[in-house]
Amino acid sequence: MSQPVLRLARLCVDYPAGDGWLGALEDVSFEVGAGRALGVVGESGSGKSTTALAVLGLLAPEARIAGGDILFKGASLFALPDAERRALRGNRISIVFQDPFASLNPSIPVGRQIAEPLALHKGLSDGAAGEEVRRLLAEVGIANPQQVALAYPHQLSGGMKQRALIATALACSPDLLVLDEPTTALDVTIEAQILDLLEKLRRDRGLSMLYITHNLGVVARICDDVCVLYAGRVVETGSAESVLRQPRHPYTKGLLASLPRVAERKHRLAPIPGRFPDLSAPPSGCIFHPRCHFAVDRCKTEPQVLDKDVRCWRAEELADAAWQAPAEQVDDAPVRVPAADGTPPLVNVDALTKEFRLGGMFNSSRVQAVDGVTLRVAPGEVLGLVGESGCGKSTLGRMLIGLIEPSAGTIGIDGGSQKENRRNAQIIFQNPDSSLNPRKTVEAIVGRPLVLHGLASGGDLRKRVVELLEMVRLSPAYLARYPHQLSGGEKQRVGIARAIATSPKFIVCDEAVSALDVSVQAYVLNVLADLRDRLNVAYLFISHDLSVIAHIADRIAVMYRGAIVEEGPVDDVLGPPFHPYTEALLSAIPDVERGSGVQRIRLRGDAVESGRHVRGCRFQHRCPRKIGAICESETPPVIEPSPGHRIACHIPLGN
Amino acid sequence: MATRWPASFVVGASVFGAVVVAALLGPHIAPFPYDGIDIMARFLPPDATHWLGTDEFGRDVFSRLLYGGRLSLLMGIGATSVSLVVGVPLGLAAGYYGGKVDETIMRTIDLVISVPPILMGILILSMTPPNPWKTAIAVGIIYVPIMVRLTRGVTLELASEEFVLAARARGERAWYILGAEILPNAWPPIIVESALRVTFAIMLGAALSFLGLGVHPPASDWGLMIAESRPFIDSAPWVALAPGFVLCVTVIAVNLMGDGLREMLDPRLKRGRG
Repeated sequence: MSQPVLRLARLCVDYPAGDGWLGALEDVSFEVGAGRALGVVGESGSGKSTTALAVLGLLAPEARIAGGDILFKGASLFALPDAERRALRGNRISIVFQDPFASLNPSIPVGRQIAEPLALHKGLSDGAAGEEVRRLLAEVGIANPQQVALAYPHQLSGGMKQRALIATALACSPDLLVLDEPTTALDVTIEAQILDLLEKLRRDRGLSMLYITHNLGVVARICDDVCVLYAGRVVETGSAESVLRQPRHPYTKGLLASLPRVAERKHRLAPIPGRFPDLSAPPSGCIFHPRCHFAVDRCKTEPQVLDKDVRCWRAEELADAAWQAPAEQVDDAPVRVPAADGTPPLVNVDALTKEFRLGGMFNSSRVQAVDGVTLRVAPGEVLGLVGESGCGKSTLGRMLIGLIEPSAGTIGIDGGSQKENRRNAQIIFQNPDSSLNPRKTVEAIVGRPLVLHGLASGGDLRKRVVELLEMVRLSPAYLARYPHQLSGGEKQRVGIARAIATSPKFIVCDEAVSALDVSVQAYVLNVLADLRDRLNVAYLFISHDLSVIAHIADRIAVMYRGAIVEEGPVDDVLGPPFHPYTEALLSAIPDVERGSGVQRIRLRGDAVESGRHVRGCRFQHRCPRKIGAICESETPPVIEPSPGHRIACHIPLGN
Repeated sequence: MATRWPASFVVGASVFGAVVVAALLGPHIAPFPYDGIDIMARFLPPDATHWLGTDEFGRDVFSRLLYGGRLSLLMGIGATSVSLVVGVPLGLAAGYYGGKVDETIMRTIDLVISVPPILMGILILSMTPPNPWKTAIAVGIIYVPIMVRLTRGVTLELASEEFVLAARARGERAWYILGAEILPNAWPPIIVESALRVTFAIMLGAALSFLGLGVHPPASDWGLMIAESRPFIDSAPWVALAPGFVLCVTVIAVNLMGDGLREMLDPRLKRGRG
C-alpha cells in the first residue's frame, strides 16, 4: 500500500485551563490515504476542529503539543522549520472553513482573494493568475467566472462564496484538502450542490480529503473512512460503510440512535443521557462510561485503549446490542390522546402578510417576507414548517406570538384577545446561549412568567418552578444556577420550562433544536413530544431540517419565498405526488442509510431572497420540472391529491 | 451566601474612601489656610513646615490639596452622575424603541456633540454666575452624548437577544424589559466608561475653572492647581506633582472600583458555584 498523505500518530494537544492543562486531543491517530476521504465526526467539544487546526499548524499560541506527531507524506510536520511549514500551508495542504460569510474579506474582489495563494506560492504574474482564477471558478461550477472574479463577497450568495473558497483552496493543486464543516452554514439544497462538487473534484483531481463534520449523513455521502471522536479521543475508526451500518462503540451506536431520519420514522429517539465530560478533570476509566448505557464496574476503573479500531473492551460481546433510551425517558412517557375529529382548530391564520421596508429614507423598496399565508393548527397538533433560510418562516412564527405586527391578515388563537394570547401562545428560541438572561438564576427565569401573570406567588412559586423543571427533566438542584453553568441542552430545557410556565395552548418552536448536538437534540425532541402529550399543547415547529420535522410533526407545511407551496399530513408530504421543491428538499438530505449512488434532484442556482412579487410561480427560477410559459405567467393553482394534502403547482396530477 | 469581594474592589474602595475622608476633613486638618499668601515664602521646596512646599504666592500646597479635594471630587463624581442619570435612560430608550424615538434622541445628541466641549461649557455657564455645582452639571451635560451613544449601542445589541424577545412574548412592560432584562447586562461597559469619565470630568472642570467659569481663585481644585502651576513646572515641579499624583491615585482607585463592581455584577466571574 502506498504511503498515506497524512498520518496522525498518537497526537496529544492541551489547552491551558486554570492552573493545569486540559487535554483537547488525547492519543489521536488516523490516516488519510492517497485519494481517499476521511471523515472526522464528533459533537461540539470533541476536538475535531482542533484536529483540523493542528494539521494546518494554525493552533492558538497557548495550545501545547503534548505528544505525538503529524506526518505529511511520511515527513513530520513538527520537525519542519516555520518557513517550510508556511510553504506547505495553502499550497500542499489547504483548508475550507465553515462560515463562507466570514471567510472572505468583504473589501477585496473575490478574484483577487483566490489569486493570493497563486501569487504567494507559485509566483504567478497578475495576468496569469487572473486566467487561472477564471479557470478555477469554472471548475467549481460557477457559470460566469469573469463576472464573479470581479465581484465583491457581498454580491454573492452563500453557496457561491463557498464555491469561491473551495476554488481558493484548490488554487495550488494541494495534495490534501481539509474541510472544516464546509456545508453547515448552508441550506440543504445548496449543501447538496457543494457535496456534489466535492465528489466531482475528488474524482477528477484525485484529492485526499480530511472532512470534519458533525453530520453523519454527510459522512455517509462523501467519505470512504470515518473516525469518530469523543472528548478528544478516537473511539472508533473504520470504513464509513461499516461504522455507520454496524457501529461497535456504544457512543457511535448512541449517535446513530439519536438521529431522526426521514426514511425510518420512530416513535421515540434514543438519546445519549448526561453531559459532556469536563476535560480538565476527566472521569476515571473509560471517558464515556458516565453516559454509557452498557457501562459496568470495570469501565469505571480501566482506561480504554484503541484496540482493533474501537475503544471499548466490550465491543465484541455487544456487537449486536442496540443503544437504549435512558430508562427515565421510557418509563413515564405519557400516552398521546389524539384530538377528536371535528374539533375546531386552535390556531386560525388567514391571508397573513408581512411587508418590510428596506433601504434608507429616500430610496426604499418593499419586500414581502410573508405573503398571504393561511394555516390551521388543531389543539395538541404539531405542524412542521420547513423552508430554507430567508423564506419567511421565522417572521411567520413571530407574528403568531405578537412579536411582529402583520401588515395584513388575521391571527386567531383559541378565539382569545391579544392579552390572553400572551399566556396562550409562547415561543421557544433557537439559540440556547442567547435565550436566557445571563444575569438571572434558573429560578428567576422560569418563575418570572408566573409572577407576571399572577399565577403563583410566595412559597407556591418555588413549588411550581420545581414542577416545571421536573417536566423538562431538570432536578431542583438547578434552581440557583446561572445560565453559564448549564450545558446547551440544559439551557434549552430551561427555555422550554419558561415557555410552558403559563400553560400555553400553542407554542412556536423556532428552530428549537437546530443549535444542539445530535444526542442532545434527540433528548430535547423527546421532552417536547412528552410535553405535547401531557399538556395537549400544539406546536408550530419551525425548522430547516426536514428529518427533525418528519420526526415530530403530524402535518408539514413547506414554505418557499414567503408562501406555503405544499401542506399536508406527514406521510402525504413525504411521499409522491410532490411539489418539485419538496421533492428537491427530500432528495438533498444527506441520509446515513442511503449513501451515494441514488439518483438526485438538484435545484438550479441559489436561493433567491423572498422579495418583490414575481409573476407566475415563485419557484420557477429554480424548478427542475418547470413545464413552460404557464409557470412564468400564472399563479399556480392549488391541487388536492388527497384530503388535506395541498400542492400549489401547475404540473397536473399523475405526472 | 457569603460573597467574596473582588480584591480590586477592596483596594480601590479603601484608597478612594481615604481620599474622600481626607477631602471632607480637609478644612479642619489643613495646617494652613488655602489662601494664606506669603510673598516671602514663594516656591519653597517641601520641608518640615510646608510638607509639599509652597506655590507662586507662597501658599501651602498640602493645605490647598486638602481643600481642593472637595471641589475636585464634586466635579468628577457629580459630573459623571449627571451624565449617567441623563444619558443611560436616553440611550436605553433610543436603542430599544428605535424609529422616531431613536432619531429624535440621536439627532439632538448630534447637535450637542457638534459644539466643542469648552464652548459648550462656556455657553452653559456664562448665562448665570459661576458656581462649582453648576460647573459639575455643565461638565455632566457635556458627557451625556458619550453615555447615550454607549448605552444605545449595547441596548441595540441586547434588544435582539432571544431572552428579550421572550420577555416581549410573555407580555412584559417596556420598563421591566429595560430595567430588569437589558440594563443588568449593559452595566459592564457603562461602568468602565464612568470610571474614565471621572478623570476627564476633573480635568475639564479645571479647564473651565481656568477660564473663570468654575472654581474661582484663590479657591483651590486639583485640576486648577495643575493648570496654574504649568508655567513653573521647571523651577518648582512639586507644585504640579502633588495634585497630579493625588489625581492619579484617585483615578486608579476609581477604575479599580469600577473593575471590581463589574466583576461582582457578573455571575460568570463569581467564585464558588451554586
